[in-house]
Amino acid sequence: MKKRILTAVLASCILTTAISSMAFASGGEEKVTLSFCWWGNQTRNDLTKKAVDLYMEQNPNVEIKVEFTDWTGYWDKLSTMAAGGNLPDIMQQDASYLNSYQSSGQLANLTEFIDSGVIDTSKINASVIDSSTIDGKCYGISSGVTALMMDYDKAIVEEAGVTIPDQMTFDEFYDISAEIYEKTGAMTYFDGGLNTLRYLSRANGTNLYDEINAGDSTSVAEHFALVDKFAKAEFAITPELLAEKNPYVVETKPINDGTTWNDFSFCNQFISISSTAGRELEMTMYPMPEEMEAQPMYLQPAAFLSIAETSENKEEAAKFIDWFINSIECNEILMAERGIPVNSEVSEAIKPNADEVFQKVFDYVAAVSEVAESVDPLEPEGRAEVDALCNTTVENLRYGDITVEEATDSFMTEAKRILDEAAK
Amino acid sequence: MRILNKEKVAGYVFILPFLIGFFAFLALPMALSFGFSFTRYNILESPVWIGLENYVTMLTQDSKFWKVLGVTLYYVVFSVPLRLIMALAVALLLVKNTKLSGLYRALYYLPSIMGSSVAVAILWKRMFASDGVINTLLQSIGIPCEISWLGRSDTAIWVLILLAVWQFGSSMLIFLSGLKQIPVNLYEAAILDGANAVQKFFRITLPMLTPSIFFNLINQLITGFMTFTQSYIITQGGPRDSTRFYAVYMYQNSFTYNKLGYGCAMAWFMILLIGLVTLILFKTQKRWVYYESEG
Amino acid sequence: MSPKAKGRKRGRSVLYHAVTLAGACVMVYPLVWMILSSFKESGDIFQTAAQLIPSTFTLENYKNGWQGFAGYDFGIFFKNSFVIAGISTVGAVISSAVIGFGFARCQFPLKGLWFACMLVSMMLPFQMIMIPQYILFNKMKWVGTYLPIIVPQFFGQGFFIFLNVQFIKGIPKDLDEAAKMDGCSLYGIFWRIILPLIKPSLVTSAIFSFMWRWDDFLSALIYLNDPLTYPVSYALKMFSDPTVGSDWGAMFAMAALSLIPIFLIFVTMQKYLVEGIASTGIKG
Repeated sequence: MKKRILTAVLASCILTTAISSMAFASGGEEKVTLSFCWWGNQTRNDLTKKAVDLYMEQNPNVEIKVEFTDWTGYWDKLSTMAAGGNLPDIMQQDASYLNSYQSSGQLANLTEFIDSGVIDTSKINASVIDSSTIDGKCYGISSGVTALMMDYDKAIVEEAGVTIPDQMTFDEFYDISAEIYEKTGAMTYFDGGLNTLRYLSRANGTNLYDEINAGDSTSVAEHFALVDKFAKAEFAITPELLAEKNPYVVETKPINDGTTWNDFSFCNQFISISSTAGRELEMTMYPMPEEMEAQPMYLQPAAFLSIAETSENKEEAAKFIDWFINSIECNEILMAERGIPVNSEVSEAIKPNADEVFQKVFDYVAAVSEVAESVDPLEPEGRAEVDALCNTTVENLRYGDITVEEATDSFMTEAKRILDEAAK
Repeated sequence: MRILNKEKVAGYVFILPFLIGFFAFLALPMALSFGFSFTRYNILESPVWIGLENYVTMLTQDSKFWKVLGVTLYYVVFSVPLRLIMALAVALLLVKNTKLSGLYRALYYLPSIMGSSVAVAILWKRMFASDGVINTLLQSIGIPCEISWLGRSDTAIWVLILLAVWQFGSSMLIFLSGLKQIPVNLYEAAILDGANAVQKFFRITLPMLTPSIFFNLINQLITGFMTFTQSYIITQGGPRDSTRFYAVYMYQNSFTYNKLGYGCAMAWFMILLIGLVTLILFKTQKRWVYYESEG
Repeated sequence: MSPKAKGRKRGRSVLYHAVTLAGACVMVYPLVWMILSSFKESGDIFQTAAQLIPSTFTLENYKNGWQGFAGYDFGIFFKNSFVIAGISTVGAVISSAVIGFGFARCQFPLKGLWFACMLVSMMLPFQMIMIPQYILFNKMKWVGTYLPIIVPQFFGQGFFIFLNVQFIKGIPKDLDEAAKMDGCSLYGIFWRIILPLIKPSLVTSAIFSFMWRWDDFLSALIYLNDPLTYPVSYALKMFSDPTVGSDWGAMFAMAALSLIPIFLIFVTMQKYLVEGIASTGIKG
């Protein structure tokens, strides 16, 4: 009997060592192991792994374990890992989540690596670094920028015989929509989401969240009035059709089958929207108000790379990030799939390799960067709930359940409550 | 060794795996999630004790909470009985042994194998679109119909109920195995008594099937209350929240809005609710469920 | 049997098959649509969703899809799924049968409490205990292995336990009594008498267990961190990305392949489920 217990104990010991040693399996002398986690599709997974392999080849002392998943699953997984104190050394981050991860102390301060020259930011526009800087410390380096756009169906617009200006006013947009509807029957979609609302605040020279906190409803009222105006117009897509053809999902966008001639999104989606629609699309900047305090267009840094505060190899992780952002060789593999590279030299170098549709995105970002004002600070916690609130309110408005005033009032009080609650 | 043969002891020996598993893997996480329901917890930071605040907010301030509860109850009340009736009808149809029955059973079970995959979602959306197959079919039999089934708040929920009814496979399977268990001699006796098919169904099949019906009912109620994916991928809760199920809202609160504490409060409220319904069903069990062993 | 009665019988049989087949068509339409769509050009799937037959057949989606991600192809993912679903199913079916017998045939103190605990475990959505459970398994150093996914299956699953309880309760006690007279212990009764009789519920459990483990991606998402260990269900998610774009063709192709194992399990198992039912003499 004793012998048997001994064997059992031994066996379980072996098992535990086997499991725990997995993490250090390739324990060479000075070998550093980093984990790198991102969300993405097949293209991104393939290209990123290829880039990682190249890095490991050039830096034999580093081993990078990759982990990838889909967008929704990624955030469930990342928060679970954070709860277990288990975040990967390098993780892809998004502007909408960066704030919560930073404020809970999960992310490493990258400023020290920028100062010490490990991460070279000399070729990167300062506003990109600013966008992920909180209290003077940077928590993520964007691997590509994107911008708001209105994409439209070239053929329909030509058929209607109208020209779309680089950036039209809302009134011009209204008139053009009416004309297109009259001549082609194609309807118009107006995005009532949080992006448009924040954009209007920018045009008023403020920030939506400051307005909400101060109880100033100027931009909010303006926004719901616009939504209402565009929903009541003859050329407007009906709320029923909008529920059926959800414009927030690439595959169901109403522009896909020509129900509408236009669509709103970020320009990094232009390629996939074009290929889903299967027709030639063009893009232009978001329309602007007739009178404004500031140009509301901005470049949105996306797909940040951050380092976990719990990482034991921050310096090595920072070296990798530097390479990922600044190496032409690496970005020739990645092909701007995460957005237009933030390093201007890299962006120049890879542009000639891009295909025709992709060239449009490069040109668009270049055009926006000429007028763009700096991006808003990171959104506060509670933004996801405010976003959902905005969508619900807009939906109720479109179905005619509430008036513009009611929409404004209920949004202001609810949003304030959400932000106060989240700030606790 | 004799002690192991005592019924009280043997019972515990049999359920020992459950007890071990329960205490090793479930009890602690369950207790923690119950604990979280009294805290403000955004997952990334440590939970902060706030007493009953989540429950109070949920029951008195969150208008969406009552809305999603209503939507879910509506869905459960219609989808569960319809699905069970469908499953029972098809099981009776397919219990007959012919050369093709294996094939038939597989074909009728297929929708459930597909589950709530993206393909089902896409197709379902297409079929119920304004210009989709359903409207075309209705038009072809002379009903002028251009309803946007998914665009109207009163019809969208029915699209999801229909999907649930269509995926009756798992209940059907349990009915099929329940039918198999009915002793042959009962039918032989009934035939001797001159009973016809309808009488046989109501006197033998249905009563003998009550344990399966009971199981399916409880199980479908639980599944119904926890329905998530259909709404998440087909309607995204819209239009006007008419298909936002309890479980969807609970998930959104927990992971999209980072309010896991609130989500846990919602989860435990749901458990209380399903638990009560289940308890009532178990209490009424004596009246209508017939167990051969207790006969 | 008179010729007239024979004719009537044949008529009934034709009607039966006609009705059953018509119903079957409605049931399988979505699957047929999905399979045929997987042969369309990836970009065409949405554009031509209303059209059942692809205008051009292409195997491109299968080729692209099978390659998987970052050098990990679907061969690896399928192998992983078989390991996870296979072992889990064996564990869940056996343990649930044993536990079910305990609840159905034995009287012991606190039985009601434990039964209630089991029911509550069925009512708790996994997402709500996911985080504490992750922390627990992380402390046990199980994260990154299959252990957190497979091991709990060996301690019974509420759904199957309850299913077995219902089945065992439906078996007359006379058999037990007779065996007891012969000096058979409760263990013997379970092994020799009950187990062979609850074959239908064991088969049902096996079909469900395999299917659910095969489809489960949430626990894989949370507990696995090496792409080499990912199962098919999890890999399928990665064809779609709302931020940059999805490859629906490849997803459809691999989703169609991933149905084959569960379908085969069902087809082989259902025979045991209803075999010999003809002798019971139930008529339509």
